[in-house]
Order: sequence, then structure tokens, then C-alpha cells
Amino acid sequence: MIPQTFDYTAPATLDQALALIAQGAKPLAGGMSLIPMMKLRLAAPEHLVDIGRLKELNYIREDAGALHLGAGCTHYEVETSPLLRGKCPLLSETAAHIGDVQVRNMGTIGGSIAHADPSADYPAALQALEAKIVLRGAQSQRTVAASAFFLDTFATALEPGEIVSEIIVPVEEAGAGASYQKMAQPASGFAIVGVAARLRRSGGKIAMARIGVTGLAGRSFRATAAEKALENTAGSAAEIQAAAALVAQGVEANSDLHASAEYRKHLAAVYAGRALFAALARTA
Amino acid sequence: MATTITRPKTLIGKAIRRREDPRLITGTATYVEDIKMPGMHYAVVVRSPHAAAKIRSIDTSKAAARPGVVAIFTGQDVSKVGPVPCGASLPGLRVPNHTILATDRVYYAGHPVAVVVATDRYIAADAADDVEVDWEVLKAVADPLKALEPGAPAVHPQWPDNKAFDFHQEHGDIDKAFAEADVIVKQRILSQRLIPTPMETRGVVAEWRAADRALNLYSSTQIPHLLRSMVAQMLGLEENRLRVVAPEVGGGFGCKLNVYAEEALMGFVAMKINKPVKWIETRRENYLTTIHGRGHVDDYELSAKRDGTITGIKLRIIQDLGAYHQLLTPAIPTLSVLMMPGLYKTQNIFADIVGVFTNCVPTDAYRGAGRPEATHGIERMVDILAAELKMDPAEIRLKNFVQPNEFPFPTATGLIYDSGDYAAPLKKALDIAEYEKLRREQSESRKQGRLMGIGMSAYGEICAFGPSPATPAGGWESATVKIEPSGKVTVLTGTSPHGQGEETTFAQIAADELGVDIDDVLVVHGDTALVQYGIGTFGSRATAVGGTAVYFALQDLKAKIKKFGAMLLNSDDVTLANGQCIDNKTGASKSVQEIAAASYRAMQLPPNTEPGMVSTHFWEPPNFTFPFGAHLVVTEVDRDTGAVKVVRYIAVDDCGNILNPLIVTGQVHGGVAQGIGQALYEQAVYDEAGQLITGELMDYAVPKAHMLPWIESDHTVTPTPVNPLGVKGVGEAGTIGCSPAVVNSVVDALSPLGVKHIDMPMTPEKIWKLIRSAQ
Amino acid sequence: MKISGSQRLPFPPDQSYALMQDPEALARAIPGCESLEQTGENEYRMKMKMALAAFSGAFEGKVRISEQQPPSSFRLDVEGSGKIGFVKGGGVLKLEPSETETVVNYDGDVQVGGTIAAVGQRLIEGAAKSMIQRFFEKLAAS
Ligand SMILES: Cc1cc2nc3c(=O)[nH]c(=O)nc-3n(C[C@H](O)[C@H](O)[C@H](O)COP(=O)(O)OP(=O)(O)OC[C@H]3O[C@@H](n4cnc5c(N)ncnc54)[C@H](O)[C@@H]3O)c2cc1C
Repeated sequence: MIPQTFDYTAPATLDQALALIAQGAKPLAGGMSLIPMMKLRLAAPEHLVDIGRLKELNYIREDAGALHLGAGCTHYEVETSPLLRGKCPLLSETAAHIGDVQVRNMGTIGGSIAHADPSADYPAALQALEAKIVLRGAQSQRTVAASAFFLDTFATALEPGEIVSEIIVPVEEAGAGASYQKMAQPASGFAIVGVAARLRRSGGKIAMARIGVTGLAGRSFRATAAEKALENTAGSAAEIQAAAALVAQGVEANSDLHASAEYRKHLAAVYAGRALFAALARTA
Repeated sequence: MATTITRPKTLIGKAIRRREDPRLITGTATYVEDIKMPGMHYAVVVRSPHAAAKIRSIDTSKAAARPGVVAIFTGQDVSKVGPVPCGASLPGLRVPNHTILATDRVYYAGHPVAVVVATDRYIAADAADDVEVDWEVLKAVADPLKALEPGAPAVHPQWPDNKAFDFHQEHGDIDKAFAEADVIVKQRILSQRLIPTPMETRGVVAEWRAADRALNLYSSTQIPHLLRSMVAQMLGLEENRLRVVAPEVGGGFGCKLNVYAEEALMGFVAMKINKPVKWIETRRENYLTTIHGRGHVDDYELSAKRDGTITGIKLRIIQDLGAYHQLLTPAIPTLSVLMMPGLYKTQNIFADIVGVFTNCVPTDAYRGAGRPEATHGIERMVDILAAELKMDPAEIRLKNFVQPNEFPFPTATGLIYDSGDYAAPLKKALDIAEYEKLRREQSESRKQGRLMGIGMSAYGEICAFGPSPATPAGGWESATVKIEPSGKVTVLTGTSPHGQGEETTFAQIAADELGVDIDDVLVVHGDTALVQYGIGTFGSRATAVGGTAVYFALQDLKAKIKKFGAMLLNSDDVTLANGQCIDNKTGASKSVQEIAAASYRAMQLPPNTEPGMVSTHFWEPPNFTFPFGAHLVVTEVDRDTGAVKVVRYIAVDDCGNILNPLIVTGQVHGGVAQGIGQALYEQAVYDEAGQLITGELMDYAVPKAHMLPWIESDHTVTPTPVNPLGVKGVGEAGTIGCSPAVVNSVVDALSPLGVKHIDMPMTPEKIWKLIRSAQ
Repeated sequence: MKISGSQRLPFPPDQSYALMQDPEALARAIPGCESLEQTGENEYRMKMKMALAAFSGAFEGKVRISEQQPPSSFRLDVEGSGKIGFVKGGGVLKLEPSETETVVNYDGDVQVGGTIAAVGQRLIEGAAKSMIQRFFEKLAAS
């Protein structure tokens, strides 16, 4: 790779990293999105701060009914964490869909969501999980909901000087089932459309439905109309199909070389249906 | 010494592991990028972002001012360097002047306009960004059909119709065939533009030895000797002062069967700055400026009798040539015409080619080069005919095949098919698939509303290029075999393999013929200073032509071994077997190693015999070879999304004798992977302004391992009489047989919906739209 | 590539129209605009820095306004080039009153070349739309 000249710092602590980032340095995590951009000279950061090696950002732990993931967890770690697999399998399942094994070994969850590629996989799951995202600056810390974090194509709630430091997802309740289904773009592996669904049944009814969608529009989102349509139904095939059909309604869909807006909307309904059926089958 | 070694001739036909693999797998092979030289400089090429523009001026002052920048050259500076050569000639061919750097105008996005040379590659890249070109942007045309429309922007202003050539060939009585036909089927069939995508991009290191007036050029090429002759000519250098080395070459697929501007340009730069210089192509440059493949719009018509007998084929090819002719650009579609009858008997053909200039990178040879297009066309048409006649696609093929007793078979296009039993691989594929049962399964699955397809292709291809009268630069190949004084064997081959495994297969041939251990044989290639001369590796020729040259050099050497052996054994009746020269009367023997040593010591020489144990043979093939085979593909289409799943892939290939089944299977696998790439995923897309929008691997979908099916590879063996090894060639077969079988299968899956044809790549969206419009 | 859509400005059409011809207001509203300098009647030279997450690049180019029919429509052409390629766009903006506000309907063509065309294809439409959105938001705030 022949990027433009840049400085590189690998600080020992998160505080040191945040101090440099406050001065305008750019965080480097797994480098799976940033390095290709630099290689093509589409990005020319003057100073890179390597946060990918910080132990402080690399943990997965359970605390008070929620799971806390350091932003530096690689996709592979998320995919294979026994804790996540047991208590929030949707996130592990989603991580397994990302790119190829090399990318999963290097790329991080923090980097993926900070980058906010409209076709990235995690956002669908994080929307469906109603995840919280902890943002830290040198002097600040705040927590935003996933629904308020992803703003637009490559645009997030991150302010200059802030990084994603932690992702918080709920421990799935007993009886819940979830699934992530995607059509992969054949060249890159990114989602043409990806849908994450979470369902909980209680007393023969769907007590809770959460649907997160990625790839369809400029940003990931929760398909609330479809969720509402499903809640308090018995979850029959017809009810699921009807709800799935609502996922793309009113959405201004992306269109590119790989899929037109019309096809994406169609796929969103198909994959929503598949994710919902799979999630339902997993509810106890 | 009377030790008897029982070493029968056993290597040929065995699955010997590739001897080149350890260095490839451990990452220790030497590619151009791995070459380092003291004082090495780095070059970056400044390229046009526009597909068509005039250059008003180029300002290099800012770039030149960067510390570390040593030189910048533009089109004016290299005006004495000869044009990038086109080796193909056709009557009336228009050949644009293809200078190595643009002078006043650019013709495609990526067109080189300047080269920046610096002490390191980062400085060179930064400085290249600083070169300012004042462009007058012109209208471009990227689509060959639009380029043919009146009033289209002229790619080359001197030829406003954008035509480079018209080519016509016919045979038999096509009008009669069509007039008397019971049925005529027509279809437009596209073979999209593809990007070859070798793992290793191109790269050049040039080193000028001023004192010797000698240029060393290291290039990732398939044709070191041809490159030497042509670059020498471009640079005005005697070719014996130019040494070309193709070090490890990480794939070519035809795209390195070429002479590129950068090869001469780096030679020029090295000579100017008197320092070694390296240029390594980025992936993005590779996509923009290394040749693409295919780019056909084919209009087919087939005439036939009601019983399925094909009586005539009409074909009109519109070939997207791109902006220039690279080495073989205009010749590629003529290969499609040569192979247009496929494996079928018909003697009535009528073909037209229109070669069209577009503001795109040139097309040229890509794995199969002209034959995949032809095979795709005829094999689609046969299926369309079968559907029209409600015949089984296997039956219609069996009916029209050239029969085993008809060889050598003269085709309507002037070729002589060497040998074949075309029904054999098709029947074998049908057996493996349990065809009847599969069809029953299909009708069951259709009842359940599933879209299952069964498709096949029976392909023939032309390989072992080729007799010299039919091959522009010469079609022979050369080999030198030496037994060194120590008894070790060196094989120098003029073919320059780059992944095909000839370091293994040629060693097998030598070890068997001489009765020596395979580990005592070294195969050397790719260096014009070491290897006598050669043509190169392309057109599935390396083993059939280059291997045969090795075989004949070995025969000469064996005769010499016997002469020396007889002398040493004081016998006039000796046999050479298992590495021993044996006196048939006494049983006394001398080993090949002992004999070689004696031949160099030369204490005594047989009559009329030179010292040493070296033999060189240049072999001229009497004909091409014509491998064939049948592929059968089972697919299932997802009704909701249009996604195609290849459920089974059966490839039965006949490439003549098989020297090493492991390597043959590997070639089939790789070929099929690229065929599936074309059928389902790949397409080079230019927008209307001539911007390549599949400009990186993020958007150009080369299939990855998980996107490919398990390939059930099998063979029939029909040796060719063309060469003593009986081998035909297998490098391209997989690609050629694949795409029509996949498309036929998917069309079959969708046939209940009335779908008759689908163009490649069969993307899910395309299929979904077909399903939807049928509903 | 065609780009069309509509945006709102919280001013009556004549005021909206005037704002969109005012170089200072434009300079403030064009995302990443670093300078906008008049070079002729209705012609400007612009320097801008585009930044979208990891993706950034400096552009230099021209802005031209033509076919002016105040307060209902005009044509805007922008072209810029930088190390990572070039962007050329043009289109007609139509202003319609809507109560006290203005609805601006735009309809145009965007063409990109160079590296951004090769790798950004899937992102350009989204990026263009979000830039347009930001442009109108900033204009609305002026
Ligand atoms: C071949 C390939 C295939 C891929 N396929 C997929 C796929 O199928 N699905 C998918 O979702 N993704 C895919 N990706 C993207 C991959 O998941 C990346 O790893 C991810 O998008 C970025 O994570 P990273 O850790 O590599 O971040 P980096 O590349 O290091 O950084 C990306 C951006 O985020 C910023 N950043 C990084 N970490 C933080 C942080 N903690 N806080 C704030 N800003 C931060 C950086 O400054 C930079 O702007 C693919 C990538 C490649 C190369």
C-alpha cells in the first residue's frame, strides 16, 4: 500500500489515545475499512492512533443483566465468545456473517459501527437489540441508543474527539429467539440487505418483536411498523409475511450496481420473513 | 558395475505433487516485487481520469520540486520509443498509433500520460498526485453497440464509424441450408467484459548496464522471449542486449500474454536515469489498464431439420475492442469463428465480425480467448433448438456430433479436428449424474413449485497453438535438456509456465525417459539469457508443444547416451533402460550419470560425436489439438430472491493422455471457477462516460471458494496423434465448458416459466425480474 | 447518475431564491466549502474539502448559475476535481411556494470519475443525498 505520509502512535493507555484523538488524530482499529481507503488515497489522515491494541477496549463481560463489549473486540471474538453465544447469540451470529475469516480476525465491532457503512452487518443486530453505545472523549462520556447513533451513510452521533468505547446489549430472556439473515454482495460480502429479528413468545402470543434492517437505506433502522404488526399476534405464517412486507414500506432504498432500490425492497421483505421464521423457530 | 535397478517408467500418469508448491505456499517465491537492487528507483504512472479528453498542457513543476523526485517523463519525452505492438493482422485492419504515453489525447480512463520516478515509491506516488494536467474533456463511448450508431462520439477522430475491421468467413451453402430448414432459431447472446484478475498484478524492474549497453528487464509476463524481441524493437535496442526474466508469475490467464506500455517505459526510464527502476501495478491500475477479456455481442441463427440435425450456423459478432489493439486484440474474435461449429458436423457456416473501438481498455486473450464465446454461443443455441423441437438436450447433441470414425475431420471453418469420441464424455457425465433419475427428480420438484435445472454443454476447443503458419509469432516450442557432469538433469523450456505446473510435468517426462530420479531434474524457464528461445505459455500449449519439444530433445540425448555407453562398454549392442545403458551380450552396464561424466571428460569420443551431454530441440507441431468434454450442472433457483445455487457440477474432460492427474484436475477446477465467475458473478461495468465502476475487488465479484460448488471431475482419454505424448491441453477447458452448462441449467430451471435465454452474469436480481415478469 | 428529490426552506420563494444566489450564504451552506470566489457573472471558483467518515478529499472547481428565472427556477452546475477524481454535476432547481415556506425540487445528473468512481459507486448516491440534505439544513439556518 502506498498511502500519503502519516504519523503513527500506538499508545499504551486509552487516556493517551483519547488525548491524541482530541487533538485531531484518527483512531485506527482493525484497519479493515480505513487502510483500504488510505491505500486508494481516499483518506489521508495525518496521524493515526492505534486503538486496536488497547486491552482496555478488549473485553466481553456481563454486568447487571447486560453484556458489555469493548469496542476493540474483533468480529472473530464476538463470533466465538461463549458468553455471547449463550446470552446474546444474535450478535455472534451476525459477526459470523461479516466478510471472510481474515477480515473477522482483524476488524472490530467499534470500527465497524464508527465507520457506519450503510451495508455493514452489525447495525442490523444492534438496532434489533436496542443496544446502547458508549462514546468517550478525553473529558467526556455519554451513552446513546443505537437508534440515535446511526445517522446516515457514514455519519454517526460521534463528535470530533470521541470514540466508541463500549457496546451494551441485553442478555436475552429465556424464551427469546433471534436470527440474522442476509444476502451478501458477491464481491465484498457486505449486506445487500440484512435483517436481524428478535422475538419472544409468551402465552402463545408474540410478546416482543424487534427487527433491525441494514443495507436497505442510507442508515440502519428498526422496522417499528412491522414490529407492531407482529406483537400480540400468534405469529402465524400469514402474520409473519404480512409483517415482513411492512419492513421496506416508505423507505427510500439504496440503489447501486448490485441491486436496484426496487429489488432491495423486495429482498428486505423476503429476508425479514426468513429472519422472523428462524427467530420464531428458536423461541422456546 | 552390474547393479540392477528396477525402476520402471512410472512417473507419467501419476499424481505427483507439484514441485513448485512449497515455495508458493510458504511465501518464499520471488516475484517481480521481491526483486531488490542497490540504488533502485521507483516509478508511478500518472493516468487519465477521463475516458476521452484532449491534453491542453501538463504541468510537472510541482511534482518535480518534491525532494526525492529524480525524473518525470511525458509523451513528448518518449516520442522516439516505438508503439505498443499489435501482432495480429487482418485485411483492412485499422491500427491506431499506440504510443507508450499519451501525447495530445487520451482514449480510455487509465491511459498513461506521464511517469514519475523517485527514490522511493511513496515519494513517487505523492509526486504523481502533483502532476497537473489541463484536460479538455470530450464525449466518450463505452458501449460497442452505441459506438456503432451514427453520430456516436468517435473514439479515434480519424475513424468516425468506430470500426476497426470487418471480417467475413463462410463455407458450404448457407442460403440453401436456411431455405430448406424445418426450423430456424435465433438469439442474441452476450459474453460480457471480464477482468482477468491474476493474484499478482503486473510489475516491471528494469536495470540498465550502461557499460555493457545491456538492459535487464524483469517482468511478470507469460512470453519472455517475444517480449524481448518486441521491447528491443520499441527501444531501438539489439535484442541480444536485452535480457527478459519472468520470475515467479502469479497468474496470467492470458492477460500477461502481451506487451504493455509500461514494459518499454521502464526500459526507457532505466536507460535515462542509469539506475534500476521498479514499477508495480496497483490492483486499481490492473483493473483499469491491463487487458480485459470477452466483450461480445453475438447474433446467432441456427437452421435445422425436424429430427434435430443442425444444417447451418450464422453468426454476427460485435467485438468490443476497447481503444487500442494490444498484442492479439483483433485476432481473438476470429478464434470464435474458427470454433463456431463446436463438436457438430454441419458444413454450412456464415460469420461476420465487426471490431468496434470503444473508450475502454483493450480486450484481448483471457482464459479461453475466443473459444468460450464460441462454445457459449453454440451450446446455448443447441439448447434453444432442443427446446424448440422439444428434444432432450443430450439427444440432440449426440445426434449432431462428429463421429469417432470421421477423424481427422475437416470443419467448415478450415480446421482439421485431430481425434475424438465426443459422445463418450457426455455419456459418462450423464451416467455419473444418473441423468434419467435426475430428470424424474426434477419433475417431482417442479410439482412442488421448485425451480431445479439440469444443463449440459459439450465443448470442443482448439489448443496447442499452433502450427507456425497459423500463429503470428511462430507456433513451435523449444527445449534444451542437459545432463550436467554430476549427472543432474536440467530442462530448459521456452514455454514460460506461470502456475500450470510444468516444473513437475516436464520433470516427470525427463525422469521417465532418462530413468533418473525426479528430484535430480530441474526445470528452468522464463529467462532469455538462460533459455535458448521460446514462444511462451498460452492457448493450452505448454505441455502439448513445449512438453513435446522436451520429449524430442530427450530422444536426441538418449541416442547420444547410447553412443557413449556403447563406447564405454565396448559393445555394439546396448539398451538404455531405467537409467542404465546395458550391454545386451554381457549384461554389463553404465549408469546415465557415469556416461554423462565421461562425455564431459571426453578422454575418448564415439565416432562423429561431440563432447558433452546437451541437446536442443525446436518442435513444430503439424496441427492444433482439439480437446473436448462435457459438463453437466444441476442448479436450484431461489424463487423468492432469484439466487442461483449450483447443486452439482460434473466435468468430464478429454485432454488426451494425462501426464499428472493432480495437475489436470487442478486446471479443471480453476477453469470451472472462472467459468462460474462469468456465468454468475463477474462483469466489468463502464458507465456512459467510460468510467470503470467495477474498479476494485469491492465491486468486481471474483468468486471465492465458498461461492463454488464441489466439482466432480472425471475424464475420458482420447490421445492425439499430433504429438508423441498424445496430450492435448487442459488449461482452458474448464472455463470453456463451464459457462454454457451453467446457463443452460438455469434456463432449464426457469423454462416452466417460459424463460428461453438469460445473459451472463446471471445475477439474482436479473433472475428475480424474469421470475416476476413470468408471474 | 440521476439525482432528484426535494427539500424545504423555511422562507418564501423570493427570499429562498435570493439566498441560493448569494455567494456568502452558499459558501456557508456547501458542505466542506473552504472558499468561494467570484470569477465572472454567476461564476465562482470553489475550494472544498469533502469528508465522509474515513473518506476525505480536497476538491477545486467551478460553480455556475444559469437559466435564472427568479423566483421560480435556475440551473446550477458544479464541477470539481482533486487527487481522488472528479465530480461533475448539474441540474435545475425549481422553487414552489408552500404556505410560508419553499419547496425546492431538484433534478439533475451527477458524474464522477477517477478513484471515487471506481470504488465509491455504491456510496455516491447516498453521499450526494446526504450532502444535499446538509446543504439545505445549513441554508435554512442562515
Ligand atoms: C474484504 C472485506 C470484506 C468485508 N465484508 C464485510 C461484511 O460482510 N460486513 C461488514 O459489516 N463489514 C465488512 N467489512 C468491513 C469490516 O467489518 C471492517 O472491519 C469494519 O467495517 C471496520 O472495522 P475496523 O476495526 O477494521 O476499523 P478501521 O478500519 O480501523 O476504522 C474504520 C473507521 O472507524 C474509525 N474507528 C475505528 N474504531 C473506532 C472507535 N472505536 N471509535 C471511533 N472511531 C473508530 C476509524 O478512524 C475509521 O474512520 C469488510 C471489509 C473487508 C476489507
